[in-house]
Amino acid sequence: MDSAPLVERLAAPFVAQLLRHDLPGLPSAHLDDTVKFIRRRFSSLPSFVRFGVTVIGAVVRAISIGPAEQPVLRFLAARPLPLFGEYVRLTRSLGYAYIWETWPDTLADGTPS
Amino acid sequence: MADSPISVLGPRPIPEHTIITGAAGWLGQGLCNLLTDPTSRYYRPTPITGIVRNSEEAALLAGIAGVTTLIGDVTDASAMLNALADADAGPTTDLIHTAGVIHPVRLSDFEAINAGGTRNVVEAAAKAGVRRMVHVSSNSPFGLNPDRNDTFRHEEPYRPYLGYGLSKMRGEQAVSDACRAGILDAVMVRPPWFYGPWQPLRQTTFFKMVGSGKFPMFGGGRQRRSMVYIENLVQGIVRAELSDASPGSAWWVADAQAYTVAEIVSTVQAARRAEGLQSKDGGIKVPQFVAGGAVAADRLLQRFGKYKQEIHVLGEMGATIACDISVTRAELGYDPEIDLLEGMRRSIRWCQARGIDLG
Amino acid sequence: MSAANANRPRASESRGDGVRRRSPGEDRNADRSLDCEILIVGSGAGGSTTATVLAEAGFDVLIAEEGAWVDQGSVIPFSLAQMDSQYRSGGVTVALGAPSIAYTEGRCAGGGTEVNSGLYRRPPGEVIDRWRSQYQIRDLDPAELDSIADEVEKELSVCLTPGTPSEPSRILRDGAEALGWQNSEIPRWMTYPEGTTGFRGERQSMTRTYLPRAMAAGARLVTGLTIDRLITSNGRATSATARQDGRPVTVRFRHVIVCGGAIQTPALLQRSGIRKHIGRSLAVHPTVKLAARFDHEVNVPDDVPVHQVKEFAPALSFGGSASNPGLVALSLSDSWRDFAPAVEAWPSISVYYAAITSEGRGVVQAVPGMRDPIVTYRLTRRDKDLLRSGLARLALLMLAAGAQEVYPSFRGAPIVRNRGDLATLQERFAAAKASVMTVHLCSTVPLGEDRSRCGADSYGRVHGYPNVFVNDASLLPDAPGVNPQGSVMALAIRNARHFARTERPRG
Repeated sequence: MDSAPLVERLAAPFVAQLLRHDLPGLPSAHLDDTVKFIRRRFSSLPSFVRFGVTVIGAVVRAISIGPAEQPVLRFLAARPLPLFGEYVRLTRSLGYAYIWETWPDTLADGTPS
Repeated sequence: MADSPISVLGPRPIPEHTIITGAAGWLGQGLCNLLTDPTSRYYRPTPITGIVRNSEEAALLAGIAGVTTLIGDVTDASAMLNALADADAGPTTDLIHTAGVIHPVRLSDFEAINAGGTRNVVEAAAKAGVRRMVHVSSNSPFGLNPDRNDTFRHEEPYRPYLGYGLSKMRGEQAVSDACRAGILDAVMVRPPWFYGPWQPLRQTTFFKMVGSGKFPMFGGGRQRRSMVYIENLVQGIVRAELSDASPGSAWWVADAQAYTVAEIVSTVQAARRAEGLQSKDGGIKVPQFVAGGAVAADRLLQRFGKYKQEIHVLGEMGATIACDISVTRAELGYDPEIDLLEGMRRSIRWCQARGIDLG
Repeated sequence: MSAANANRPRASESRGDGVRRRSPGEDRNADRSLDCEILIVGSGAGGSTTATVLAEAGFDVLIAEEGAWVDQGSVIPFSLAQMDSQYRSGGVTVALGAPSIAYTEGRCAGGGTEVNSGLYRRPPGEVIDRWRSQYQIRDLDPAELDSIADEVEKELSVCLTPGTPSEPSRILRDGAEALGWQNSEIPRWMTYPEGTTGFRGERQSMTRTYLPRAMAAGARLVTGLTIDRLITSNGRATSATARQDGRPVTVRFRHVIVCGGAIQTPALLQRSGIRKHIGRSLAVHPTVKLAARFDHEVNVPDDVPVHQVKEFAPALSFGGSASNPGLVALSLSDSWRDFAPAVEAWPSISVYYAAITSEGRGVVQAVPGMRDPIVTYRLTRRDKDLLRSGLARLALLMLAAGAQEVYPSFRGAPIVRNRGDLATLQERFAAAKASVMTVHLCSTVPLGEDRSRCGADSYGRVHGYPNVFVNDASLLPDAPGVNPQGSVMALAIRNARHFARTERPRG
């Protein structure tokens, strides 16, 4: 895991938390698969986008310490902020596309049917 | 074919009785005059009842043979029910609903008159069982064209332009709902900017500004505006009234094509000269963003419940509002015969005959 | 020069084609090198056709393709696996702006032609005329392009889909008919072996048509080869530095024709110090989407509708998008809180787009040290108004076609169930809240003699560089308002033939 690219290591916890927040019914196995997919995509982003995601990912990671993690997540999940909003949107786009392409009968809250 | 009283304007026969709301307004007076003038091709020998708000308005129609007036405010639901009952409205009556406000005293007038008033008239017409109601709507429920070269087609998505647009959209919805419920046979016409005899004061101002070369031209005057001469509009209304189209149908009623604001200005200047009036050329060039500013100001004012006619008109002048009448031609046989130059000349002559000073 | 490869190459063979192999004992770190008369960078619609014309004219052609050879049919169209193997950056590429515009680039043998909708449109006559006069393009003759288009249509087996249209296609057609809006079925480059129809047809992309033809005429295709920079000296390009498997490769040539697409072509030229009017005028077809739900099953997961609505062309056009369940979820994701329940009904849902021709333009800028260029795009006020109006008109069409619910893809969008809801859609819409995307990218090296804005001359020769050419979508002076592949190919063939007439093959 240590050898994984920086962008992946920074983003992975947030990505997992965001998807768990959005889709509470998503089973862990599906979540893990999806996070792996999103990590791979983050690594292959065009240079400047990857740079931006890395920086934003770092900031989010830095402020989501301890008790702040859940409130920060809920705040970002609900609000369309500049830049941070794009980070959230990218994660959701990749995540939802992957989940429903891979398990098409997944219900709206992530529960497999 | 113009002005022939024998031409047939639709498959249905002329009704035994015609009721016109807003009869003392610009369009209302135009209808009352043209429907009762034996030399006009819209002449009908059957009685016409004009519903007006008060005795001052009734006086405006006093001289027109064939028109009886009834007092009743469209914002008063029971007044409308009573008026139609007093007029013996029934299955051989057609109702043309022109009552509405474009430039209100209070913003709340929009909702009360254009939406509420239409609901009341729809309800009364349905109760009376009229043969057909023609609702005079507007381009305003559809907003502005997104691009200078765009033209509204026969069917478009709603995008009401500010307070007026919203109230006219609600008026349309009241009509459509009644048709869908099967309780009323109603159709709608959607005229854009109209002009011609019986015009109110603001049109006189328009003629004066153009004549003095002071009309504002935003962004070179290349935005396009559909207009309709009042007689063309009356043609459209009557054709809609006498058609067999299904309830809920709606048509754009406009002159043959949209004009650019620059064309409108130069045509009016030519019309002035043709009628012996002086006229300067051109207008005042104003950058496009000023119109945008006026729109923003208009929106802000309306949000706070205020209405300023000049700001509203200024904002709209920067816009393109253009509609396509090909379906109206095809389905109703509508053919706008009077073009802008001729229409403006007739308007000027009408003003001159009444001693109105056009500068 | 290596011998002509008469058989259709497979991926493992083509990787090794033409690369000098190290003999045992040779220095492992020695640079590898390739020699050719004409280096063509990129094997998409421009590169493959150029290679075919020149190889058949007797030139020694080497095609450098960054991506891999992926056979048609070996991946599911429009799937995430396809994005992995045949798109640049897994399909996640974006032009920054307010709003940002997501786009896609093919990155494989055959380029974008392997992954696009397959819809074919001839270069529109009025667009050609406008380009010729506004950009001063010499001898741009619509009749010549028409005749080339005839050839291309034959080579690609362009035809209408046999049988009845798919449900998503029929919906578009019927909705347009109900509103009296002009619409038509667009032909595609597809063959239909006995008994097949619709998406079961075989896509006649470059890997099935021009690439094998070019190779049969002696062109060499090297995949997995990334061209980094052109080395120039005294105003001529002499060689290119490249990489394959992370190892350096030098490619020497007499002429180079860059066909990397509207993003990679200007980026390569800029990295090579060639900058004048390169990458400054990117033009795209911005689109916004909606998902529409019907009272019966309509979804076709791996094909796109063939009908398009052209009533409002060139400003606006409507068509259908790929709608597999993942893409349906994606289209609902902008307003997930309100739209999420609809995802369970994906078999009754299809995704559609409204596309505009944009007044705004963008910039492609290579940055030293960064692998990918920075891309930006600016939409004008009028562009944003058109996007709004287009989406609302498309939603109206869906209602006219019988949709029960329409889900416009922007944040805060209302569910549209009736015409009154269209007013709410328009009121709430803002381009900044929408997922704006484009799959057509053009105009970063516009061709023409107007030296104030053209990067290449009337036949694609980069101004100021006698042996550097461009021959792909970068040349189109603006986005043509229709699927551009037909225009790219016609123009590329015209230019390649001109090249073949004016330069002579060596030996």
